Amino acid sequence: MTDSTILEVQDLKTYFFTRRGAVKAVDGIDFSLKKGECLCLVGESGCGKSVTVLSLLRLVAAPGRIVSGQVHYNNVDLVHCSEEKLRGIRGGDIAMIFQDAQSAFNPVLTIGDQIAEQMTIHGSIDRQAVKNKGIELLKEMNIPEPDRVWDSFPHQLSGGMKQRAMIAMSLSCDPKILIADEPTTAVDVTIKAQILDILHTLKEKRGMSLIFVTHDLGIVADIGDRAQVIYGGKSIEMASVSEIINNPGHPYTKGLIACLPDSSTDSERLASIPGTAPNPIDLPEGCPFHPRCAQVMDICRHVVPKQTIISETHTVNCHLFG
Amino acid sequence: MNNSRSAESRPVRIHGNRRLFLYYWNRTKQNKLAIAGLGFILFLILLALIGPFFTADPTHVDFAERNVPPLGFSTEESIYDIKTNAFTVNLIEGTWKHPLGTDGKGRDMLAMLISGARISLEVGLLATLIAICIGALIGVLSAYLGGWWDNVLMRFTDIMMTFPFFLLLVLIIFMFGPSLTLIVLVIGLTGWTGAARLIRSEALSLRTREFITAARALGASDARIVIRHLIPNVASLIIVMATLSIPGVILAESALSFIGLGDPSQTSWGIILNDGQKSLDTAWWVAVEPGIMLFFTVLAFNFLGDGLRDAFDPRSNLDAR
Amino acid sequence: MRKSWLQGYILKRLLYAVIIAWGIVTITFILIRIGPNSPADKYLANIAARGQDVAQVTAAIESRYGLDKPIIVQYGDYLMHLAQGDLGWSFSTSMPVIDLIGKHWIYSFQLIFLSSLLAAIIGILLGMYSAVKQYSKIDYIISTFSFAGISIPNFWLGVMLILLFSVKLGWFKVFYDTTLPLLSLENLKALVLPVFTLGTGMVAGYVRYTRSAMLDNLRKAFVTTARAKGLPERTVIGKHVFRNAMLPLVTIIMFDLGSIVFGGAYLTEIIFGIPGLGQISFNAVFANDYPVVIAITLIGTFLALLVNLITDIAYTYFDPRIRYE
Ligand SMILES: Nc1ncnc2c1ncn2[C@@H]1O[C@H](COP(=O)(O)OP(=O)(O)OP(=O)(O)O)[C@@H](O)[C@H]1O
Ligand SMILES: [Mg+2]
Repeated sequence: MTDSTILEVQDLKTYFFTRRGAVKAVDGIDFSLKKGECLCLVGESGCGKSVTVLSLLRLVAAPGRIVSGQVHYNNVDLVHCSEEKLRGIRGGDIAMIFQDAQSAFNPVLTIGDQIAEQMTIHGSIDRQAVKNKGIELLKEMNIPEPDRVWDSFPHQLSGGMKQRAMIAMSLSCDPKILIADEPTTAVDVTIKAQILDILHTLKEKRGMSLIFVTHDLGIVADIGDRAQVIYGGKSIEMASVSEIINNPGHPYTKGLIACLPDSSTDSERLASIPGTAPNPIDLPEGCPFHPRCAQVMDICRHVVPKQTIISETHTVNCHLFG
Repeated sequence: MNNSRSAESRPVRIHGNRRLFLYYWNRTKQNKLAIAGLGFILFLILLALIGPFFTADPTHVDFAERNVPPLGFSTEESIYDIKTNAFTVNLIEGTWKHPLGTDGKGRDMLAMLISGARISLEVGLLATLIAICIGALIGVLSAYLGGWWDNVLMRFTDIMMTFPFFLLLVLIIFMFGPSLTLIVLVIGLTGWTGAARLIRSEALSLRTREFITAARALGASDARIVIRHLIPNVASLIIVMATLSIPGVILAESALSFIGLGDPSQTSWGIILNDGQKSLDTAWWVAVEPGIMLFFTVLAFNFLGDGLRDAFDPRSNLDAR
Repeated sequence: MRKSWLQGYILKRLLYAVIIAWGIVTITFILIRIGPNSPADKYLANIAARGQDVAQVTAAIESRYGLDKPIIVQYGDYLMHLAQGDLGWSFSTSMPVIDLIGKHWIYSFQLIFLSSLLAAIIGILLGMYSAVKQYSKIDYIISTFSFAGISIPNFWLGVMLILLFSVKLGWFKVFYDTTLPLLSLENLKALVLPVFTLGTGMVAGYVRYTRSAMLDNLRKAFVTTARAKGLPERTVIGKHVFRNAMLPLVTIIMFDLGSIVFGGAYLTEIIFGIPGLGQISFNAVFANDYPVVIAITLIGTFLALLVNLITDIAYTYFDPRIRYE
């Protein structure tokens, strides 16, 4: 762990134990997060992005369980530390915002109650100060009439307002790391731009580290510093954003980049990767991508590729580079 | 995992689809209690159908053989003898002739319990059938007529729902005299409210679904839409609701009989229990046995209904342990 | 802002309750009229049995109940009397029905109140525990017991308890003694078995409702949010999940009161000889004292209606999501 690394994830595996067998939602994820950077987790739907970030704070509910791995933060292994220690970090040092702000707020409590609750649990006792800070944060998120919003119930706000209130809540205890799980999928384009702008500013102004989950490479290009590509619950490529886009290594990443609408020819047509996403209950042997890979070799069918360092800022898990 | 997901997102269409039936059957089969419940119900039906051919007449009175305990048990009976002016104590043992014993009039308990099984099943199934038919009619009418009619029908449903069911039963039996037919009719005529609401809301939501619109575009009449599309689509809900409402009906009939408002010409479990309650100190089994039958019957329907509901509910996660 | 629409809603709901009450009264009136025996006949049978002058009493009753008037007038009178709280005259006990009810309601209330309170506390706690420990051994045990509890016929349970504790073991005295004060130790002891009898099914029902309401909410996204905020599990369950589960729960519990609890209490009172309204109605049935039977049905119905009304309004008040305009 170098000085600039703030969070390090090693060999994380989270399975859901169901009657039909173990669903290997996350099956070997490694990455590290540097201070003040924005790391994007990219991959198609169902590849295990949400389960990965939930696992970081041990938020996966039964029948899911973290079966192996470590998450190092500040010399604490979040996977194995005590509940109490973890609770101090959840919402305190590491905060989280979710895709669907609509359902992420408790419908029977006011926005203010819910924000205040988080500050109180992390040690702020003065109720007036809590309220002042909360309203200040709402204002910072460009929410009109923050006083009114403070006393509103979630259903009284629009989706975009709720998402911004959610960000305000996550910032209420000045976290060092903010994890955002697709915070822009459920809102319209203008709100999306606003939210990205807010997150970008936060990162710059507060020096906060950001883990940003998305399947939208446009967003990655927009605010990401580095990107981690996930396929079938495994890390398959990690590089700086410019390298991922301009010089992708893994055939899957290449496919993803090819899927981007080509702005130069102005065509709306999307290329797509043939085949379907792997079934997490019955992952293929060897490299999870081999059934869809055009450059598949014999070894790919049997051996899980190890991480190969291509350059200082670029690693790939693929036998083509082995 | 993936298989079930795709099946769940399909609209539920039961009619003429054996695959779907198998799919639900497989889901139900996962629930062992539901299967046990189904087994018990089938056993009870069989018992009620062919049992009477093998047992004594349940109404046959024989004072010489009164208060015989079930096989494996024995009781003491004190008899006052006028001549000697003393009590003699008789030891009575259970016999194979009356495996479940006899009551205070020497009637065979097994025969009476089998007769009771028939009555309970009849009452449960018939009353539920009536209730579901009325409920379906009112629900469909309410949804399709809409407006003023919908309002009136639903307010009427509210009135019926508010009536404390048991008090109403007592009142009506009190006014019209006890008879099994009347009990079935009253339970059927009052128990439709849940079905009506359910079917109305289902019909309302179905009206907007694509395949109904498609059927209408093809020129199907409203009646045809109701029969061919709506009913099959709510079938699963109706089956669950019927299964879960049968135990309530059976219990209501037994309770009425138990307090002496049952049909005196029938040997139902409640009536046996009513007799048994009066002779707890001399023949405990007369009160115990019909209750056990009642308990297991109700339990069986509850298990089955619960299993079916889980199987039909696309949200329920049968995968999780 | 909140107050004004709520007032309108309450008014609307009240009006609606009055209409339902009117509907119920009308249905009972029709039932009385289409019954095979005229109300007087039943009473006259009793009178004749006692060897009194039938003709004289007939005239008295007919004028008292206005049975000689046209049916519409009778209906009007019936409504008028009811509106004034006049529930008629109890033949078998020779007092106004309203007085009879005034004397006995407290016993029913005592039984239902104690059973409901205990059942709600135990049922909700067990249900919450069961939901939080879903799929654990304890969850299975609680679920199995709750299944048994909703399936056991409560009148049979009562008889079995008497058989075991009174006949065989002789621990509890069975019958309630009205000459002793309501809350005397003796009578409280006599209530143990009845409360258990009535409460078992209720506990089982509440466990099931609570468990499923808790599970519904435990899977929701806001629970993950609450945990991600660093709240202790106690707060997540007790505050966030329970508050959301409680609203539908209260509605169901209140709704059960009319449909299930009243019937159960009726039977329990008869089995254990508690002199409440169920017992009174039961006695009246066998004494052909029809005004009492009808009055108690009406009172039960009105109570159920009232409870539904209050629950509805409370629900509307407490659930911020509901707004009726
Ligand atoms: N509670 C659960 N039980 C069983 N399987 C689950 C559960 N939650 C998630 N999974 C499985 O884990 C896999 C990964 O899910 P996850 O939600 O992490 O995907 P994702 O990458 O976030 O997708 P999306 O972009 O759609 O949000 C999926 O295949 C899903 O089926
Ligand atoms: Mg996700």
